[in-house]
Amino acid sequence: MTGAVTPRDVPALLEIGSERLDRMLATTGLWLDIGAATIRVRSDSPAFGTQLRAVYGYFPAIENAPWADLHVRIRKSTGVRRWLKPQATFHCDGLQTFDPFPGASPLPLFEWGCNWLIGRRLNDRLLLHAGAVERDGFALVLPAMPGSGKSTLTAALSQRGWRLLSDEFGAYDPSVGMFQAVLKPIALKNESIAAVRRFAPGAVIGPEFPKTRKGTVAHVAPNSDAVMRCSEYARPGAIVLPRWEAGASTRLEPLTQSSVFPALAFNAFNYSLLGGDGFRSVVRLVRQCLSWQLVYGDLEEALGALESIWPRVLEHRMAGPL
Amino acid sequence: MTREPQALAGSLTWLGALRTPAMVSNWPLQEWERVIRLARRLRLLARLADGVFSCGLIEQVPAQPRRHLLAELRLSRWRSASLTWTLRQVSAAIQPAGYPCVLLKGAAYMAQGLPIAAGRLPSDLDILVPRTALPAAQNSLAAAGWRTVDMDEHDRLYYEDWSHEVPPMRHPRLGVELDLHHNILPPVGRTRIDADALLARLQPSKWTPWQVLHPVDQVLHCAAHLFLDSELRDRLRDLVDLDGLFRHFGADVQFWPSLVERSGELGLAEPLALACHFCVRWLDTPVPQATQLALKKLGPGWGRRGWLLPLFDHVLMPTDPDDAPSWTADAAAVVLLARYHRRRLPLDMLVPHLWHKIRAGGRSDDRSEPAGAGP
Repeated sequence: MTGAVTPRDVPALLEIGSERLDRMLATTGLWLDIGAATIRVRSDSPAFGTQLRAVYGYFPAIENAPWADLHVRIRKSTGVRRWLKPQATFHCDGLQTFDPFPGASPLPLFEWGCNWLIGRRLNDRLLLHAGAVERDGFALVLPAMPGSGKSTLTAALSQRGWRLLSDEFGAYDPSVGMFQAVLKPIALKNESIAAVRRFAPGAVIGPEFPKTRKGTVAHVAPNSDAVMRCSEYARPGAIVLPRWEAGASTRLEPLTQSSVFPALAFNAFNYSLLGGDGFRSVVRLVRQCLSWQLVYGDLEEALGALESIWPRVLEHRMAGPL
Repeated sequence: MTREPQALAGSLTWLGALRTPAMVSNWPLQEWERVIRLARRLRLLARLADGVFSCGLIEQVPAQPRRHLLAELRLSRWRSASLTWTLRQVSAAIQPAGYPCVLLKGAAYMAQGLPIAAGRLPSDLDILVPRTALPAAQNSLAAAGWRTVDMDEHDRLYYEDWSHEVPPMRHPRLGVELDLHHNILPPVGRTRIDADALLARLQPSKWTPWQVLHPVDQVLHCAAHLFLDSELRDRLRDLVDLDGLFRHFGADVQFWPSLVERSGELGLAEPLALACHFCVRWLDTPVPQATQLALKKLGPGWGRRGWLLPLFDHVLMPTDPDDAPSWTADAAAVVLLARYHRRRLPLDMLVPHLWHKIRAGGRSDDRSEPAGAGP
């Protein structure tokens, strides 16, 4: 999106010194290309650089790109508050928005605030509330209500050869009929943190933040492949509604188009705002994709089930109109 | 303290594109980035997008800013459609009313098809009925499912006794908040508006049976809303509205003299004088010389202008999107907030009111945090 530089020319955040990252954040800022948008972030919060690097490590450390869609600033508290009860505040375009977070948690504030801005502003896309991964050029979309294990499953898939697009936004571009990455770290909550650690010991997981409004939160870093390819679109492939149940045996049940429609439309961030385009996009998606309900109690089994249906998805999509 | 007109002109040049969208064709990407951030914060981005789109220039805009213009245009159209839908529900609830029903502000501009109705982001619907008709209107609305927003006893009494509107109402199935007024300014302030004088000169709108205020009263309402309000930062949108109203209604030669005369009758010469001053200086609004001279006599005197103008100058001028407001802008905002409270409530009411607000944690009743929906 930034145009002037290709990520390969620029060292990744992991490769530059922390002093340099802090200096970038303190001055003109760091530009993060997440696929569907570019975020410019600045910060004077002492803990932020380290936390950011832990979960955006493979992102290129772009400075001074010609364009950013979101301009965000994380600031530490000033005045007496600095010593009594340090806070981190979120600013966008010169306005402070949202209540402050504790000073030690600038990363969750940044993630939460950016997601809020994306959900509000990128109204040139249909923003499904869904996890999304890609393989063979096709997207597997996992729409779900919070707590259904969408992020856990997305994280697991992203650790097993599926390219992460997003754990929060199925960003569908109606003008081209394809999904785009909204590539950010995957936010895991409470027991799902340990579940992903057990499932993929190699996963890069950032610091744990206890006692947020959603309990303990930690973020899985997108891997280098996902970062390098975040500008690649993915054609609609399959829609799977996940539902985690303790001890359940894995079941995949095909869904009718009419039952998938409300799961996509009425869960989206901006379905009604897009009016006719929103309706037509969802109709197109449910007609193109194969859809299932996935009930699972075990991540390994769930992934096996998704692997097993993928050839059918490819066959179906190759046969029909792309 | 007052800045030079040239300096002002430089940082506000982009506002010209609201009236002359062709200006945008010269903007480099850097300027687009600044304007999009600033215009969004000022609630003017959809207005700009609508102008660029209507002139057929949207395809010439570079891809990065273009998507933001189109996205904001979608938001504006959706919000405007939500407003008209909500109004239909309100109509169904209270019609046939047997009393005058008046649209205010954005809804009134839309119902008259004014140029400034394009590219708005309405989030509430403002309507006015005679004070005597309030109970009937409230009953009809309550029967249709409209509910008063939760508030504490102090705030409820504040609305009941000291305000020009009843507490805001929401409907579980509609996304637009409803503000039911019986006057355009609080009845206890230093400036007391005779609501009957407003009701005596109502005009039909394109959305029958809804009516709108007389054009001069619409302008005075808009000016009072801006220059007698508590929060003045990032309110350039209201000035742009005033500019649009002046240009639209000002085409009628009768408009200007009757505007000045009416401002005297209603005691709103000061906000009108301020509105004209800043529109002429910042937006190049064609206010006739005779009107400007008449307002110099009728409006705030030389001494009062001497401190009011620089203060408004500081507070109304938007800060750069990368900067926090300067301490002078903060200080000016505090002085004008004091003027607001002093003007709105007598001291024996003001002190207990502010004390309650401080104890309630400084929650402002004028600007609410965006609803925290989202991931």
